[in-house]
Amino acid sequence: MSPALVVLLQLGARSLRLHKLRSSLSILGVVFGVAAVVAMSSVGEGARRETLAQIAALGIDTVTLKPPASALGEPAATLPLAAADSLFRVVPGVQAVAPLRVVELSADAGGRSASVIALGTTPRYADAARLELAAGRFLADLDVADRKRVAVLGASVARALFPLQSPLGESVRLGGDWYRVVGTLQERASPRTRGAAIRGRDLNRAVLVPLPALDRGGDPRPDGVDEIVFRLANADGVTQAAGVAQALVRRSTGAAPEAVVPREILRQRERTQRVFNVVTGAVAAISLLVGGIGIMNIMLASVAERTREVGVRRALGARRRDVAAQFLVESSLLTVTGGLFGSALGLVGAVLIQTFAGWPTAVHPLMLAVALIVALAVGIGFGFYPAWHAAGLDPVEALRRE
Amino acid sequence: MPLAHEPLGGLGGVKHPPDEGNAPLVVLRDVVRAYPRGASQVVALAGVSLEIRAGEKLAIMGPSGSGKTTLLSILGCLDRPTAGEQLFEGRSVASLGDDALSRLRNRAVGFVFQAFHLIPQLTVVENVETPLLYEGAPLHDWRPRALRALERVGLVHRADHRPSELSGGEAQRAAIARALVTAPRLLLADEPTGNLDSRTGDEIRALLDELHAQGATVVLVTHNEALGRGAERVLRLRDGRVESEERP
Repeated sequence: MSPALVVLLQLGARSLRLHKLRSSLSILGVVFGVAAVVAMSSVGEGARRETLAQIAALGIDTVTLKPPASALGEPAATLPLAAADSLFRVVPGVQAVAPLRVVELSADAGGRSASVIALGTTPRYADAARLELAAGRFLADLDVADRKRVAVLGASVARALFPLQSPLGESVRLGGDWYRVVGTLQERASPRTRGAAIRGRDLNRAVLVPLPALDRGGDPRPDGVDEIVFRLANADGVTQAAGVAQALVRRSTGAAPEAVVPREILRQRERTQRVFNVVTGAVAAISLLVGGIGIMNIMLASVAERTREVGVRRALGARRRDVAAQFLVESSLLTVTGGLFGSALGLVGAVLIQTFAGWPTAVHPLMLAVALIVALAVGIGFGFYPAWHAAGLDPVEALRRE
Repeated sequence: MPLAHEPLGGLGGVKHPPDEGNAPLVVLRDVVRAYPRGASQVVALAGVSLEIRAGEKLAIMGPSGSGKTTLLSILGCLDRPTAGEQLFEGRSVASLGDDALSRLRNRAVGFVFQAFHLIPQLTVVENVETPLLYEGAPLHDWRPRALRALERVGLVHRADHRPSELSGGEAQRAAIARALVTAPRLLLADEPTGNLDSRTGDEIRALLDELHAQGATVVLVTHNEALGRGAERVLRLRDGRVESEERP
C-alpha cells in the first residue's frame, strides 16, 4: 500500500470518528442492505447444498426406472426382471444395474422391532447405489442363486435391533421369514429435511436381502420388480442413457417407465435457484441503492462543511485528484464498515432463519468477500459525485468560506 | 526564540543556474483578474505589473477591496490571471495545467493565512506534515522534517497538541512551520498578524523577519503599517492598481 493511501485511511477513519453518530446512521442503509443479501443468499446456498448432498447420495450418474403409474383399482405395475439384464447389455456406458423389490415391513430380533424398508436386490446394487459396508459382507451371487435368507442391515436398523451387540450372524425376522445377518451398512446422509427437492430413499432404514428371497406372498407377477437402478461410468451420458433405457423397457412392456435422473433434477433445481438469485439480486440492488444515496448525502454534507479544508489542502499542493481521493477513501471506509457490520448481521440472520423457520442455511465464504467488494463499490460509486464536487472547488473560493 | 542553525533549504538558497542569477523569482505584467458577477464583471486587479526578486521582503498594502488578497492568490499560483503575463522562475504560469500548478504550490510556495487555517482534526505535527503527503515524500521522512520545521518556529513542545489547544501566536507559528516544511522559494503571508494581539503579532513579525534574514523571499499582505514598514519595499494598491511603490 502506498504511504499516501495509508495516511488517507487514517485521516478518513479519524474524520469519521469525529462524527460517530452521523457516520453510524449514514451506514445503516448499507448495513441492512448487506445483511439482507447475506441472509437471503444463505437461504439459497443452504437449499443448494442440501440438493447437492441428496444428489451425491443418489449419485449424479444414476438413473432409477419406475413402473408407469397404474390406474386406480389396478394392482401396482411392475417392471420385468429380465429388463435389468438387457439394460446392462444395451445401455451405453452402463457400469452396474440392479433390480429392486421394495416392501415396507416390520423387522424383529431379540424382542426388539423396527419398521424397515426391505429391499430385494442383487450384489450389483452395492455398486449402483454406492453402498459402503460397515461390517461383514454384502450380498453375493450365490446368495441370489440359492435364494439364501441372508440380510444386510442399514445403519439405523442395525442400531435399533442390536443396540448392544454386533448383528453379524444374528437372525432377524422379516415379515414371516428369518434371515441371517451377514453385513451392515455405513451411516448415510439421509434426505429427510422437509422441502427437499428429491425424495430419496433412506437407506439407513433398509434391510437388503437377495431378490428371490424376498417373499411378497401372492404376488401376481412373480418376475416383476419395483425399480431398476443403474449407474453409468460417466455422468455426461446420463440423460441419453435414461432415454435408451425407457425405450427398451417400453418395447417389452408397451408402456414407458418413469425415469428419475438426479442430474436432471439438479438442473431443474439450478434453474429455480437462478430465479431466486435474480430476486435476491434485485432486493440487494434496491437496498444498496438506498444505502448508497444515504452515503452520497452524508458525503455531500461533509464536503460542504469542510470546504475550507479543501481550500487549505489545495493551497498546500493537493491536486484535484488528491482531494477526490481523500473523500473517496472516506466514503469507501464508511461503506466497507457498513459491509462488515452488515455481513455480521446477515450471519446472525442466517442462524435465526435456520432456528426459527427451519430452512437450512449456509454462507459461502465467497459471499462475504462479494458483500465487502460490493460495499466498496457502493462507497466509490456513490462517493464519486461528492468527491468530484470537492475536487472541482475553486481553491480561492474555498479558502474564503467560513 | 531559538532558530535552527541549519541553512534555510530552498527558502533562501534558491539554486538558479549561473546565467539566471539575477532573474526575478516572480514577474507579473499587466495582470488583470476579473470575476463575472451576473451580467457584469468585478475587476479585482486592473493591470498590475510587478517583479519579485529572490531574497526580497515585499509588503502589499491598501484598503480592503483594493485587490491585495487576489494579488497574493495569483502570486501563489492559487488563482490565475484573466489577462496579462505571469512568470515563475522565468517560466510562464499560464501554460501550466492544474496538476503542475498544484505541484508548484506544493514545492515552491508557502502560504500563511490570517486565520491560520490549521486542520482541526489533525495534531500540530500532522498539520505540518500535510504538504509532504502531496509532495510524495517517503513516509519515514515526514516526522523528522515536520519536527525540524516546528523547531524553526520554536513549537516542538506543542507537536502533539490539537490546534484548538494552541494560543493564536502558537497557531500561526504552526502554520508558518507548515509553510516552511517543503522548503519553498516564496513565502506568502496574508495578514499574518491580523488575528493576533499586538504582542504576539510582534512575535510573528520577528519570526518572519528572522526567516527573511536567513534568505527567505517573503511577500506580506497587511493593513498593519508597522508590519509593512518592516519590508524592503511596500506596494500600495488601490482599486486593483498599483498606486505607489516605496522603499521605507
